[in-house]
Amino acid sequence: MNKKLLDYTLKIRLPITVFVIIIAMSITYYVSRNERDGIGNTPTQPILFSHKLHAGDMKIDCQYCHTGVTKGRHALIPSVGTCMNCHSVARKDKPEIQKLTKIFLSGEALQWQRVHRTADYVYFNHSSHVSKNIDCKYCHGDVAAMEKISQVHSFTMGSCVDCHRTAHKSFPEIAGLKKGPDHCWACHR
Amino acid sequence: MIGEHIHDNEEKPNLEEMSPLSRRNFIAILGASAAFTAVSCTDYPDKGKIVPYNKKPEEITPGKANFYASTCNACPHSCGVLVKTREGRPIKIDGNPEHPVNQGKICAKGQSNILNMYDPERLKVPQVIRDEKLVNSTWKEVDSTIITALNQAVKDGKEIAVLCNTITSPSFAKLISEFKEKFPTTKIYPYEAFVTDNRNTAWKACYDNIPQFAFKWDKAKVILSLDADILGTEGNHVEQIRQITSKRSADELKSFSRIYSAEAGMSITGMNADYRFRLAPQQQLDLVLTLLVELFPREAAELSLNTVDYSFTKFASVNGLSSENIKQLFSDLRQHAGESIVYAGDKLPGEVHIAVNYLNELLGNTRLYDTESPVVEYISNATVQDFEQLSTNMKNGKVGILLNLNTNPVFHLPEDIGFAGSMSKVRYAISLLENLNETSKLSNIILSGSHFLESWGDYARRAGIYSLQQPQISPLYDTRQKEAVLLSWIRGAYNEQDWHDYIMSNWEKEVYPKVAPAADFKTFWNTSLHDGVTAIAQNKVVFSEFKKDSLKNIRVKYPTQDFTVIFSESFSLGDGHFANNGWLLELPHPVSKVVWDNYASIAPATATELGLTFGDMVEISINNRKQKIPVFLQPGMAEKVATIELGWGRKEICEVGLGAGFPAQSLLSKAGGLTQLIYSGAKIGKAGEKYKLVTTQENHLLDELFVKDLHLRRHIIREGTIEKYQKEPNFIKVEKEKQLSMLKPHEYTGEKWAMAIDLSKCIGCGICVTACNVENNVAVVGKTEVSKGREMHWIRIDRYYSGSNEEPIVSNQPVMCQQCDNAPCENVCPVVATNHSPDGLNQMVYNRCVGTRYCSNNCPYKVRRYNFFDFRDRLADGYYQQDSLSLLHNPEVTVRPRGVMEKCTFCVHKITEARQTASAEGTKFDGSNIVTACQEACPAGAISFGNVNDPESAVSKARENNLGYSLLEELNTNPNVTYIAKLRNINSEDIT
Repeated sequence: MNKKLLDYTLKIRLPITVFVIIIAMSITYYVSRNERDGIGNTPTQPILFSHKLHAGDMKIDCQYCHTGVTKGRHALIPSVGTCMNCHSVARKDKPEIQKLTKIFLSGEALQWQRVHRTADYVYFNHSSHVSKNIDCKYCHGDVAAMEKISQVHSFTMGSCVDCHRTAHKSFPEIAGLKKGPDHCWACHR
Repeated sequence: MIGEHIHDNEEKPNLEEMSPLSRRNFIAILGASAAFTAVSCTDYPDKGKIVPYNKKPEEITPGKANFYASTCNACPHSCGVLVKTREGRPIKIDGNPEHPVNQGKICAKGQSNILNMYDPERLKVPQVIRDEKLVNSTWKEVDSTIITALNQAVKDGKEIAVLCNTITSPSFAKLISEFKEKFPTTKIYPYEAFVTDNRNTAWKACYDNIPQFAFKWDKAKVILSLDADILGTEGNHVEQIRQITSKRSADELKSFSRIYSAEAGMSITGMNADYRFRLAPQQQLDLVLTLLVELFPREAAELSLNTVDYSFTKFASVNGLSSENIKQLFSDLRQHAGESIVYAGDKLPGEVHIAVNYLNELLGNTRLYDTESPVVEYISNATVQDFEQLSTNMKNGKVGILLNLNTNPVFHLPEDIGFAGSMSKVRYAISLLENLNETSKLSNIILSGSHFLESWGDYARRAGIYSLQQPQISPLYDTRQKEAVLLSWIRGAYNEQDWHDYIMSNWEKEVYPKVAPAADFKTFWNTSLHDGVTAIAQNKVVFSEFKKDSLKNIRVKYPTQDFTVIFSESFSLGDGHFANNGWLLELPHPVSKVVWDNYASIAPATATELGLTFGDMVEISINNRKQKIPVFLQPGMAEKVATIELGWGRKEICEVGLGAGFPAQSLLSKAGGLTQLIYSGAKIGKAGEKYKLVTTQENHLLDELFVKDLHLRRHIIREGTIEKYQKEPNFIKVEKEKQLSMLKPHEYTGEKWAMAIDLSKCIGCGICVTACNVENNVAVVGKTEVSKGREMHWIRIDRYYSGSNEEPIVSNQPVMCQQCDNAPCENVCPVVATNHSPDGLNQMVYNRCVGTRYCSNNCPYKVRRYNFFDFRDRLADGYYQQDSLSLLHNPEVTVRPRGVMEKCTFCVHKITEARQTASAEGTKFDGSNIVTACQEACPAGAISFGNVNDPESAVSKARENNLGYSLLEELNTNPNVTYIAKLRNINSEDIT
């Protein structure tokens, strides 16, 4: 290769290429961060259920439906039967409720789109958090104001550990709250 | 040289099996896919679906386990079990703590039985032979065929032969009698394979109309076991282990029992005996008679036995035993008359049993018989003669229907009965089974049977102890249980509820009035179902007088020419029913540590004589029956004796069990030798071939100076006699050098977990290994991989021999991750995937591990396991990836992928669960209720687990025990597993 061309390649072309790549990657990394973490994820559900209506306007307690939060790991999505506790009587004229009733009567599975998800190797437990009086809002956002459920906070290990390490600062209103565990087997095993 | 362990770790790449993709193409595709991914990455990834119940069953909270009581039917002992289910699927079987016989413990087969239900190769629909081909059918079709055939057989006066296992269920016994009423030509043949009827026959000869008893082993100060593996395969060993080891505690030296074992092979009982006599089975009778003569000369004289023929000195010199030890046995029996048990093995001849019964009678040991709950016999088991008759009848066309209910007579019965050949003469040979087997292969109707976790039933093996069996899951496939099938044939139509209602009405008539509770029947029934067991106090059976007539022909000389071969049931596979269960096939044999095979064990001296070494095939011939089998050199064997386990070498079996072991039952004959299971006059010759037996532990060569007694020299095994311990309570302590550490010591402010294992109690049975496998989703890897040292067991039982090849001293030691304070593995992990938790656990984080294997290399205890292959994908191409098997996994424990290190976690998921429950309920957490899987399963109660920082916990007391030590203390690893040194009840200060 002639010397001039080599000189040009090494001194100008290479640095520019590397610079462009680094900038592009950095911008992509930061811009797409929320998207990667799932923040803002608002999938369309098979039944257009409104948390704003139920939890917000009517002030139904979260635990009426999410019965698992005090019992164990899973918060639990209510069975179709739970919806029918009210809707076998209430709002039977609405098309969404008719859809729901049809599913209930046929016994088929109602497949909700998942919004919040931790990785498979994380054994998160709702009950240990709820029993410490940590509000659902802190992770799930103001669900009572959401027409369609959407992810507000990131569910990465970084977010978990941030709060675990400074729990008393994040929740000054909860007296006697100690730091959360931050060793591996607290969540992975 | 003994049993050299051959590792072949070298693996050459097979170019043909490798991907044809070149490196250049691979990188090009990789680049292109990265580019496409980047471009398409503009939307949120789909996070999957959440599917709640449509109508949630009230008792289920997803994520929380439910427990149901039931009864195991893997063997006649009918232990009560507690089945853990998650979201409606069973994931673990443990013993039912409420059951008075097995008291919360269950054997290795019972633990692993759950895999049988999820076995992907189960029979799923009824099948029939049509045009010489096996085709799927329906229950409706086979039912109508069979009912017509049953009626026809009755009309023609042809026999309906029903084969099943020993009947221990009152309702099933009643059903059978109803079946006989409906179809009067029915004959029932209950049987157990590979056991003899000698004990029963001898008992009936000695006593009138008294049922057989179990023993109160926990009341015995001295136990003499004659060729009986009471801690292994004989009797209800779960109950026996618990009772016997309850008297082997260093805390109660006064009541420490002494175990004598006289045996030809090396059994689990022999490994744990304080005094062991190597004795050919022909000599067992002489031993009992010698004891009779020396202990009770007057009674012996009545039988014209005298001291000239039977004396210690003579017996000891003839058999090359130490007469001192025999005398010790004599004085112990005399001193503890009425507090000792002499127990003859099932396989020994009837005379030995009669002599033993008499000896126990004279010693007053009969008060250790459990006369409150004797063994119940509903229908007597069929004898070899019965089967011979059946075979002849079949051949002569006198049998219209052969109905095989989950047994395998073609495999079990001696070949010279000709059962297989006669079967072809039967028009309807029907088999109802979970998996295909040798008998179903020759059947023309094969019915798919339910597993016990899918069945209803009731059992009362011991008088007054009624237990119920309830389904934990509805049948996975189109299967029915045998009882329901028989009932449907009686009634002419099948109804799912019928058998359940049948048991219920039987209980209402039979059990309910006996209990006579204040509650109504429905409440009583529900309570019994909930508890799994109902005990009704029984009147003690009063002993009748011992019939001395039975002693008439007590003096027998057995033939001793050539070799003697002793057969016994397999410890892990039973009679072969479990031969397709990977967990049991891969369970190292408690004595030999061999996996995936059976073999002929012979004494090293005998092997030298025959010019045999480890891995040689031999041909054993008894009369004209021949069988090739690999040979295993077993220290402690009597010379000129071979022992072989049966239940292996199944030919008609599913994928997993195919090719495992050798069908040595081909050596049995209907006439038998000494007994059905002991044959003299056998010839053993070199077959000229080699065979690879795979063991999980190298047999340290007893005669090689470098490794001999290494475990003692390195203080891995520390043990002594009671006498020594009483004189010097600290005798096992080794002077510690002052140790410096470069690491900052950890501080444990909260809980700190530790385990203690009492080696005086541990008998090395391996039940903990199976329990750990089930609890922690441990993969089965197969024989080839084990031969490379790649077995995945998180807990292993190390077995060491010291002493000589002839009289080895055996020590057992379970080893799992020692959860060291200064863990050597932690320092070398380049990605910090293994590190220390604040509660003293050595954490292994799978999702961080990149598989360098440095940790395993640096672990002095060799307890880390590496997934070389995705075993769930690999074992015969994705065997464990099949749908039904993924239901088996414990959802609280990660199913580890390939390329990741794993090891014992001290059942951290149980710790976490207890902690989280306490936190949710607002109760104080001290860890006192945490029970690890191995601890829960150990029938000897040798394992304790708990919080060291709680001075009241069992484990912190064990750490202060004089006999407590840890492994390789000189390395300054500070392990958190404490071993309580084994004490032997030998009448001297030294173990020799």
